[in-house]
Amino acid sequence: MSVGTIADPVITLEKAKGGLQRIAATTETQMQSVALTFRELAGQADTILSLAAAIVGCVENEGVSSILPKVQTLGAAARQFIGERLHATAGILDAVATEVEVLRQLSQVTTQQADIALKTQALSVLTNVEVAHLGEMGTGFQYLAHELANFSRSLIEDALTLESRTDARKAAILDTKRVLSTELPRLREKLAVIEADLGADLANLDSSLIQLSRTPAQFKMGVEDIAQQIDGVVSAIQAHDITRQQSEHVEEAFAIISARIGEAENSKNGIVQDFPQAYAGLTIQIYQLKSIKVTVETWTMQIKTCMDGILRVSASEMVGIGPTVLGQERDVSSQLAHIELLERESQSYSARIQHTLEGLSSLMQFVSEHVRRSKSVRDRLRLLSFNSIIEASHLGTKADAVLAIAKTIKEISAEWNQITDRSGRAMEEMQALMNQTNTMMEAFSESSNEKLREAQFQTRAGLENLRAAAAFAAKQSQEMEMITGKMRAKGAEVGGTYDLLDSCSGQIEGILTQLESLRNGLELEHPGVKHGYDEMEAERLYSATYTTEIEREILRAALRGAPLPVAQPALAGNGVELF
Amino acid sequence: MKRILTVDDSTSVRQMVSFALGKAGYEVTEAVDGKDGLDKASEGKFDLIITDLNMPNMDGIQMIEAVRKLPANGFIPILMLTTESQAAKKDAGRKAGATGWIVKPFNAEQLLATIQKLVK
Repeated sequence: MSVGTIADPVITLEKAKGGLQRIAATTETQMQSVALTFRELAGQADTILSLAAAIVGCVENEGVSSILPKVQTLGAAARQFIGERLHATAGILDAVATEVEVLRQLSQVTTQQADIALKTQALSVLTNVEVAHLGEMGTGFQYLAHELANFSRSLIEDALTLESRTDARKAAILDTKRVLSTELPRLREKLAVIEADLGADLANLDSSLIQLSRTPAQFKMGVEDIAQQIDGVVSAIQAHDITRQQSEHVEEAFAIISARIGEAENSKNGIVQDFPQAYAGLTIQIYQLKSIKVTVETWTMQIKTCMDGILRVSASEMVGIGPTVLGQERDVSSQLAHIELLERESQSYSARIQHTLEGLSSLMQFVSEHVRRSKSVRDRLRLLSFNSIIEASHLGTKADAVLAIAKTIKEISAEWNQITDRSGRAMEEMQALMNQTNTMMEAFSESSNEKLREAQFQTRAGLENLRAAAAFAAKQSQEMEMITGKMRAKGAEVGGTYDLLDSCSGQIEGILTQLESLRNGLELEHPGVKHGYDEMEAERLYSATYTTEIEREILRAALRGAPLPVAQPALAGNGVELF
Repeated sequence: MKRILTVDDSTSVRQMVSFALGKAGYEVTEAVDGKDGLDKASEGKFDLIITDLNMPNMDGIQMIEAVRKLPANGFIPILMLTTESQAAKKDAGRKAGATGWIVKPFNAEQLLATIQKLVK
């Protein structure tokens, strides 16, 4: 038989068997090593998943996602609260400006009043002179001179008192105006700075909170993927046992084929029976080896994919988030402290404004009394004027001077009426200012900051929860990073296994080449062998030791020339069938 | 703690079974073939046995028949973990006294769930 000598096919098959045995030994050793490594990796993956799940749970339980809306609500409440106080303070500043004007008018009243007092005094002197001049006829006017003198004294006293009060009040409110004018822009500026800083801090915190909420879950999903791949490797390790048996059966088949080729040389029907059966055997083993090659490549890829995933896994992103959030939480808390400071500062103006209000109230009471007295003086002057004219009419021709005095009294009365009206209007304006200021003072009341207090309380509680979650995440992440470091180191150890398994695929390819060459040689030498074998006999001969269904399927496909059946990798594994 | 005996001539398969069951809190003893499995079953008290079918020295069917004859192991659950899936083989296993049949590779979760029911 010229496939070379009969020794050639036998030697080829012996060499192929040796190759398979070496491959089996290599894969057995490597798969044991992989099994041990992946046991450890599976345990580490489980630990990381527990840690990641704990972070996810903590973030959810501490309501991390609700902190941002709380801080935003607080920011809005603070803005509104401080804004209202600033508005009230600005309003009070306007009221103060108005009060300065009213006081200016009162000053004018004081001046006018002083003038009238002097006129009245002069008139009193004139009246005394005329009374003296009239002698007995002037007795009726004595009381007039007396009244005018009293008027003059009381007007001067009143004017002095009013002047003193208005001057004191002017000094007080100018001081308040100076302070508020300086502080108001400063407060506004502080509020603007807080708003800007709080806005920036919230934006940073928002970004970090999103990371804190999402990253652990994403990391957990990533590790779950790896855990699944580890499960896949575990299945591959089990499937190795199937491949090992398949390979042993191929080696056994080589012995049958060698025997058949030997018999063909010595048998009369060798060409008809034995060579075709040998050919069929070679075809079957080629198919089986191709299947083994595909399976080895599948495990190799499974191990590589898993290893690559493990080498990439890192909790470093997670390690950074906790401390970042803690830092940003401190920034936000600092802003909240600024808000509280601003709140207290604005509250300090309440005392000053209250004092202003009290001063205004006190002045208004005085002015009210003054108006009342003015009206009384006005009425009295009218009466004096009237009585003077009547008395003058009794004096006949000697009444010219008295008439002049009476006329002057009438003029003074009219002037006084104006002063009384002006004082009345000033009082009305003061009343309006009082009301306006009272309304603005509500911004400084205890009830005005209820909304702010509630928002502050909610935010403080939320920030405490955030601190707890971030600190927990930081601690867990560090532990996770340590374990992922160990996983990466362990995964790197498997690198050598992957290379060895990868080379096994090439070695199997080499054996296949030899078998195909042998088969082709047989076919060339004896063209009838390709279709000369009995299928059932071939199946009986070569499947006697088979232990798996896939081997039988491959054998049938080989004998019929059908495509190679592909064993679906049962990565999830098979269940238990109970009898 | 429940004790389980795993019998298989493949080291890596024994390792995988030990890992899956050990993680769940079972104490696992390994045997390298049917004879070793029978010896260990005679010496110790196990709550369940998992055995391969095709092994040197003594195969799984022979081991099950022998174990069933041991005084303490008449009712012990025995699961066959094998590459074989043919009905005839399963029938032989059932007649020998196997409680259940798993075709390799096994699904760890389902295996644990079944063991939990069997060893209660």
